[in-house]
Amino acid sequence: MTRLLALWTKETLALLRDRHGLAALFVMPIIFIVVMTMALHDAFMPGAAIDVAYAIVDLDGSPHSQSLARRLAKTGSFRRVADPATTDASRADIRAGRYALALVLPKGFGERLLTPAGADGQATEALTLMVDPTLNPALQLAFRNQTSAALGMLRADELTHSAGKLFGLPTAARPAERDWPDEIVSTAVQNDRSIRPPSSVQQNVPAWLVFAMFFVVIPISAILITERQQGTLQRLAAMGVPFRDVLLGKLLPFFVVNQIQAVLMVAVGIWGVPLFGGEALVMPSGTGLFHWWLVAAAVSLAAVACALLVASLAQTTQQSTIIGGVGNILMAAIGGIMVPKFMMPGAMQTLAEWSPMAWGLNGFHTVMLRHGDFAAILPDLVKLLACAALALAAATWLNHRQSA
Amino acid sequence: MLKVDGLAYRYRDAAAPALQDVSLTIPAGGIYGLLGPNGAGKTTLISLLAGLLTVADGNISLNGQPLAEARAANPRAISLVPQDYAFYPMLTVAENLRFFAGVLGLNNPDIKAQIDAAIAFARLEQVTGKRAEQLSGGLRRRLNLAIGLLGRPQLLLLDEPTVGVDPQSRSFLLESIAALPAAGTTVLYTSHYMEEVEAICQRVAILDQGRVLSEGTLDDLLATADSSAEIELDQPLPAALAERYSATDLGHFKFGLFFRSTVEVARLLDELAEAGCTVRQLHVGRQNLEQLFMRLTRRSLRD
Repeated sequence: MTRLLALWTKETLALLRDRHGLAALFVMPIIFIVVMTMALHDAFMPGAAIDVAYAIVDLDGSPHSQSLARRLAKTGSFRRVADPATTDASRADIRAGRYALALVLPKGFGERLLTPAGADGQATEALTLMVDPTLNPALQLAFRNQTSAALGMLRADELTHSAGKLFGLPTAARPAERDWPDEIVSTAVQNDRSIRPPSSVQQNVPAWLVFAMFFVVIPISAILITERQQGTLQRLAAMGVPFRDVLLGKLLPFFVVNQIQAVLMVAVGIWGVPLFGGEALVMPSGTGLFHWWLVAAAVSLAAVACALLVASLAQTTQQSTIIGGVGNILMAAIGGIMVPKFMMPGAMQTLAEWSPMAWGLNGFHTVMLRHGDFAAILPDLVKLLACAALALAAATWLNHRQSA
Repeated sequence: MLKVDGLAYRYRDAAAPALQDVSLTIPAGGIYGLLGPNGAGKTTLISLLAGLLTVADGNISLNGQPLAEARAANPRAISLVPQDYAFYPMLTVAENLRFFAGVLGLNNPDIKAQIDAAIAFARLEQVTGKRAEQLSGGLRRRLNLAIGLLGRPQLLLLDEPTVGVDPQSRSFLLESIAALPAAGTTVLYTSHYMEEVEAICQRVAILDQGRVLSEGTLDDLLATADSSAEIELDQPLPAALAERYSATDLGHFKFGLFFRSTVEVARLLDELAEAGCTVRQLHVGRQNLEQLFMRLTRRSLRD
């Protein structure tokens, strides 16, 4: 135990003094999580808000015009800004680039709601949509469609209300304004089953956590290669320290490092990302949280074991940086870390199944999105633990062979 | 104390054995010099003694006990100080010593006493809080040696312990190592610096191409029945004379010669006068270790 304590203390001190290693383990993934979560925010949300602002010039000021404005605001697709008082003020705002769309509700809009386009022989002033001509035509069309839909809904509700009164039917004083569109929830169609796709933060926090965990390869190989090159491993062997103790001496400190990474990345997801305007990460609770930790522990074991294997394969720190760094990036690229797996074509999704990072990410998503139980995460746990055992065995064999 | 008997070792896929039929006796309480050119088999022998390689052919025993059993009974009995700075550059001197003491499994009351003793032995008191990477070459060598003394080994294997240090540090290291047998530690010392070995070793073995060429006390080895001479002429030594006296060319018309008896010296001077050679300098007497080493191992380059 004295021996292992000495080995753990040494690894901890060595890591704390390795500024580059610490940066790779903690700073890099935090930056990745924040930047990628914000950059891919809309890509992960079907029907998400479009960052285009509009204003409403309400010249009518009637309950109906106000109702239409509220219904449009509820769609949430376009961003509503403070309303200008007049049409001219709105035109000036668009010209100044303050917003791109302005919907003018003419005087008498409420009164003429049920007699559109002069159905009673009298002229009805049309709604006007002022647009910034540089705005994407598809977005102009989308706003027109949303307005038409909201207007149609308003008319239908008003008609139902008036008809009810006319025929003496029991009606509420005023129908509740419903959200629009009516309860339409987008789902991404997966290969195996339909689940809600992960949000940007749900994708990025576990993804970059897995990536960061595998980056222990940099400090682990830096220390192990220094030990080998400087004859320290030889000295330890001469002192009767078996190589498995040297490996154990590295496993625990870096397992702890991985757990600190997990806490830190989750904290960034919960409290950091919302500071930048993103959605907060929601973590499972109770047994779900334990299952989440099981996945984190299995990823950690696989990551540390793979790092030890790379450190045993490489002769110099330059080699280990290349093998470890490039290997991690490749595993991340095919494993759904950089590009989410559900966005990949079928062939790539099959290839992703061979990346240990994909097993880790899949395990996290099983717990976080599908609320999977232990049996559901077991296949990924087994794959990760098998990977760890194989890598450790290979590392031990390589070191034994090099010293023979 | 340490007995090596008929030891042979061949690396996997190697064409020639690294050691063959090596037999040595290293008595307790002294400093034993192990000499040999590069590739002679010194490192292989040290690796076998340190337990880094497994003995396949031959025997090694420590105090009459087979090496593997002796190491199992007392893992701290033999300590290796490699030629490299085998410690952690990012740790301080004190942290390095604490780490290696911990790895050796030293107990708590003992650990501090031994670390303090090692620091005092290597005079590292002023630098205990300094990171190893910031130390000078001499201080690094002293730390390397101090780590080797943890666990109070019976046998200390020193592989080129003075490489890359200034004369002051070398002198300090040699004095410190020379004092070790008095404290109960036997030393096996390998070096390419012949004057170091001559200064501190009582017994010497010269290895080449995996074999022991010569082994014995330093006095016995240097005081051979042969007499050696070093002669400087004004021109090349005539070939017939060079052959008769087993001359080695030392450059600048200097030659090392060997006589079966000192009577031959007078004859040589006559022969040189007849050949028209003028003798500028002549040293006759006991050979030094470097001359013996060069004679036994030949002068050809090894790598």
